[in-house]
Amino acid sequence: MAAQSPFKGVTTAASSGLGRVRAWANDTMIAGRPLTYYVTGWRFGVIALILAILLPAVPAAAYSDIQSLLVAMISVFVYVMLALGLNIVVGYAGLLDLGYVAFFVIGSYTMAAGTYGAVSDWQGNLHNVPIFPFYLLIPLGALLAGIFGVLLGAPTLRLRGDYLAIVTLGFGEIVPVVFANIPVFFGQIGISATQPAPINTPVGQISFTDPLNNSPFYYLVLVVTVLVILGCSALRNSSIGRAWVAIREDETAAEASGVNLTRTKLLAFALGATVGGIGGVINTAVFPSITPLNFSFDISITILIMVVLGGIGSIPGVIIGALVLRLFDVYLLQRINDPVHQSFLVAPINAPLHFLANVDFNTLKLLIYGIVLVAMILLRPQGLIPDARRKRELAGEGAAPEDISAVGMLAQEEAGISSAAVGDALDQTEYTGAGSDAQGREG
Amino acid sequence: MLTLATVMVPGSASPVGVFFQQLEIGLTLGAMYALVALGYTLVYGIIELINFAHGDVFMWSTVVTLAIVQAMGITAPPGPAALVGLLILLFAVGMVVSGTLNVTIERFFYRPLRKAPRLAPLIAAIGASFILETVAQLWRGSGFVAFPSLVPTIGVQIGNVHVNVLDVVIVIVALALMYALERFIRLTRMGKAMRATAQDPEAASLMGVNINRTISLTFIIGGALAGAAGVMYNLYIGQVWFFTGFQLGLIAFTAAVLGGIGNIYGAVLGGFIIGIIEAFTIQYVPGGFAWADAVVFAILVLILVVKPSGLLGQQTPNKV
Repeated sequence: MAAQSPFKGVTTAASSGLGRVRAWANDTMIAGRPLTYYVTGWRFGVIALILAILLPAVPAAAYSDIQSLLVAMISVFVYVMLALGLNIVVGYAGLLDLGYVAFFVIGSYTMAAGTYGAVSDWQGNLHNVPIFPFYLLIPLGALLAGIFGVLLGAPTLRLRGDYLAIVTLGFGEIVPVVFANIPVFFGQIGISATQPAPINTPVGQISFTDPLNNSPFYYLVLVVTVLVILGCSALRNSSIGRAWVAIREDETAAEASGVNLTRTKLLAFALGATVGGIGGVINTAVFPSITPLNFSFDISITILIMVVLGGIGSIPGVIIGALVLRLFDVYLLQRINDPVHQSFLVAPINAPLHFLANVDFNTLKLLIYGIVLVAMILLRPQGLIPDARRKRELAGEGAAPEDISAVGMLAQEEAGISSAAVGDALDQTEYTGAGSDAQGREG
Repeated sequence: MLTLATVMVPGSASPVGVFFQQLEIGLTLGAMYALVALGYTLVYGIIELINFAHGDVFMWSTVVTLAIVQAMGITAPPGPAALVGLLILLFAVGMVVSGTLNVTIERFFYRPLRKAPRLAPLIAAIGASFILETVAQLWRGSGFVAFPSLVPTIGVQIGNVHVNVLDVVIVIVALALMYALERFIRLTRMGKAMRATAQDPEAASLMGVNINRTISLTFIIGGALAGAAGVMYNLYIGQVWFFTGFQLGLIAFTAAVLGGIGNIYGAVLGGFIIGIIEAFTIQYVPGGFAWADAVVFAILVLILVVKPSGLLGQQTPNKV
């Protein structure tokens, strides 16, 4: 039934391409070991971290080049955090949050309002409020976002997952509207944060406000990002992390095994929100001017695409997904957009490709994002760097023996028995793509 | 809904008159919401998927019918006979465009994922919605484009309430479509197949129902209703915008949940209730425009907390 799988050709081409990359990585030897040895597991993390630490020291043709790269990387790290936070909700617990931007907004406004020193009343009169230090605002923003996560999650998490998607979607839309329409934080005009004060160290003063030297900020954000990565990793391997995965794979079975559904889901939702809040505080510390209009649905979707692209539930995957998309966005796209527009604006109207002058590359980017999202879900649902467990789950939908249920694995893990042996048999069964599944149903 | 500013009639100063004027606006809005809500409820009823792209399918009807009117060079109301012909043409085109679009999305985006984990088709639907929006944005730009007013603003004065002929046409066409849908689902073989598939797809297929064709038909019908609503929206609100479908989709989905998702009577009831609530919000809440969406969202959360099955829906246990 060839008509059932319209994407079969594409799937084959894509997986053979990946196979070729894998073969190349296996054949390339570095210091007596294949390249794959270095890009798997913790070794890859260590190498990536060393590269990230060395980045500001990279010699560049122009000093400003490396500075603009650092600014781009700061933004990349913020999105890595956000994507990891959303990954707790979507990837671990299997809850679809479409309004993740709301928690980013809450974190951003915590930073801005906490350092601005004044709020407005409904008549537009200013009132002085205390200014909080930046390092206190990180936990405060995390706390506030977490509280809102609980407030939103508590009533809705008892319901089926797709309702949650809609409610969070609405929440993501409403929060910026609220900030735009209440005058406390200056409505649509927005508010500007005061950047963190310089730190005095034995070797000298470290300033966060020097536009010619972004390294202090870069390292600060890098440290927070690494902490978030370690936190996510620890969560994933904790008993709570296993409970999340059990819920994701089979809610009814998890409940029957004694997992408290509402509380466990709420915890995932609140922790995801917390990370979103931290991301907001950090982002506003670096890029201080915010208005409610900055926070659109596009951001929620972009973060979701980072998670899906990299691999739902997979920490290295999500990091790579965020890295690729955000670098594309802040670094490459700006370098394409302006020159193209400028060169075609002066070109005669009948020049070939002149229509490019009128193309908004940012909109085009969103179109590409949408296509990437759909293509990943249809052709490679496990993502670029799949989470082993999730891969088995996807493969298991049609092929796994009935008795290997999520809860069975959970019980084994709790009992200290490795689930790897059980999984190995399943690893042989690749997720064959959507087409054959539909065929299975027909037959 | 910022664009609602265009339809607000100053009306008389008497509070009773204002109340009934807002009621009239609410009913007209509600008719459109109900048509879009039906699409959500039909699809959810049959494959338990929230079709996120549904609002954008609606939006594409507004975009394409605008393109047709512009291509025909129409900028002012035509004569009565020409107007009727034009409206029939626009409704036909809008319904065909949206129906085709909806079924195409189903075929290529949802059908391959029918056996995949629940999250997968939902994410595919969001992707589809995003694609539809950005293509429309690339085509028509990011701003509002005005749709020429085709129906002359004539109407009757009933007491303190001014009723436009356009409002009457919208409500009557919407009710006629709803009635036709109800008859179709109740009386025809295909309607019976739809009900059977909604109840139990496997049992239905054992009885000889072609599941794929039935699901496709559901998407065509849902899309066509949204297409009709799109034409009404153009005639009534008169502003074409790539993001319209997102907002209106959220409102219509709330209407479907309010009525009880999966229940077509519930979708109609919910649509009218939400329309009326919105019209009253704009009138009676200070700074009502900005808060209209927030009020709808608050209603959604409230229903989900208090009565998730909606007004007319039945509580269904989770399938194991």
